Amino acid sequence: MANLKEIQRQIKSVSNTQKTTRAMKLVSTAKLRRAEELAKRSRLFAQKTNQVIAEIAGRIQCNKVGGIVNRCFIENDTPEMIDIIFVTADKGLCGGFNMQTIKAVKRLINEYKNKNVKIRIRGIGKKGIEFFNYNQVEMLDEVKNLSSAPDMQRAAEFMTRSINDFKEGIVDAVYIVYNGYKNVITQELHVNRILPANIGDYDCEATKNTTLELEAQDEEKMLDSLVTKYAEYNMYYALIDSVAAEHSARMQAMDAATNNAKEMVRSLKVSFNKARQEAITTELIEIISGVESMK
Amino acid sequence: METLQLEVLTPSGPIYNGPAKSVTLPGEEGEFGVLPEHVALTTLLQAGVVDIQKENGVIESIVVNWGVVQISGNNVVVLVDGAVAIRGENEGDIARSIAEAQSLIKSIADSNAMLATVSARIESAAHNLL
Repeated sequence: MANLKEIQRQIKSVSNTQKTTRAMKLVSTAKLRRAEELAKRSRLFAQKTNQVIAEIAGRIQCNKVGGIVNRCFIENDTPEMIDIIFVTADKGLCGGFNMQTIKAVKRLINEYKNKNVKIRIRGIGKKGIEFFNYNQVEMLDEVKNLSSAPDMQRAAEFMTRSINDFKEGIVDAVYIVYNGYKNVITQELHVNRILPANIGDYDCEATKNTTLELEAQDEEKMLDSLVTKYAEYNMYYALIDSVAAEHSARMQAMDAATNNAKEMVRSLKVSFNKARQEAITTELIEIISGVESMK
Repeated sequence: METLQLEVLTPSGPIYNGPAKSVTLPGEEGEFGVLPEHVALTTLLQAGVVDIQKENGVIESIVVNWGVVQISGNNVVVLVDGAVAIRGENEGDIARSIAEAQSLIKSIADSNAMLATVSARIESAAHNLL
């Protein structure tokens, strides 16, 4: 029989943990709301950017002899070197959130390794970086403190290297892997190929009768700067989406922890009461037998 | 009278969304104005000031550092990287937005001449507000 003091100590400890997890849940809920709002506002920009890019690229594709020549829009079936950029959280305590991304990255690495493709890994987020460092996987870049505070400027700077290397032909594809926000209780893993940009099919017939004047003397130049922005922006969006997902994952994990703690306190209380009753019974028996023996 | 439907979007959210009588944009080739029924056009913008003439005649200025504008029919979509609207309830607010705008321009300006031109435009836009 565990003694009373020991059980009491455990109850106290568990309910303290419960207080912490509940507080963490509330913090995550508040942060999630902000992150969600940011992601929502930002999505509008994404839609329009994609529209403009698809339109211009599509028109060039349709109207220019030989189709589009910009490297950023041509499918490449036999890449020699690819960039994998992953985004994980800087902090743990959010369930399987980081591990899911890490597993997806590992899958992608194995897939391309089998095809003898060289891989450069660029990591954002402490948790993922720690994992790959521990497993002695070499990384090209390690960026911490960006995924917890997304910033367009820093995201763009980070992306510049991949974009330039892609344009120069050093890498043939750029992937971003991150765990995104779907709704408050689900996260969705994204493995997005950013470059070459996937603009989808473009309906040439539909545009024949409309006119679009491209003022920039050089269409290519315009596409070039657009594609840069497109890639930079996608990086930024991956970051904010990931933050929202991180908070929702943490919120869930902390909610589960709080419930567990509640359950544990309950069962500890039961055993505490049992122990208390037992102690009383023993004491009573002792008194009664003492009295009996005096008769 | 016909109006334009104008949207100014940045990665962190829309900065202007609503009707406008006309809008003046800092194109790569120079400043140009857009009125309703403008021809369909897509072009790059450089750092500068976007002047929006609202329905009530008030002019609102937004400083941008880079952008693309897509005009089709009466819809004008301006996609920009960073933008600061010159507006505010009082002088203090306006002064703050001017400072923000200037630091935005400084962060990308490659020539002093351009910096000076845009700064002057910011000043005059602010002056109109007061």
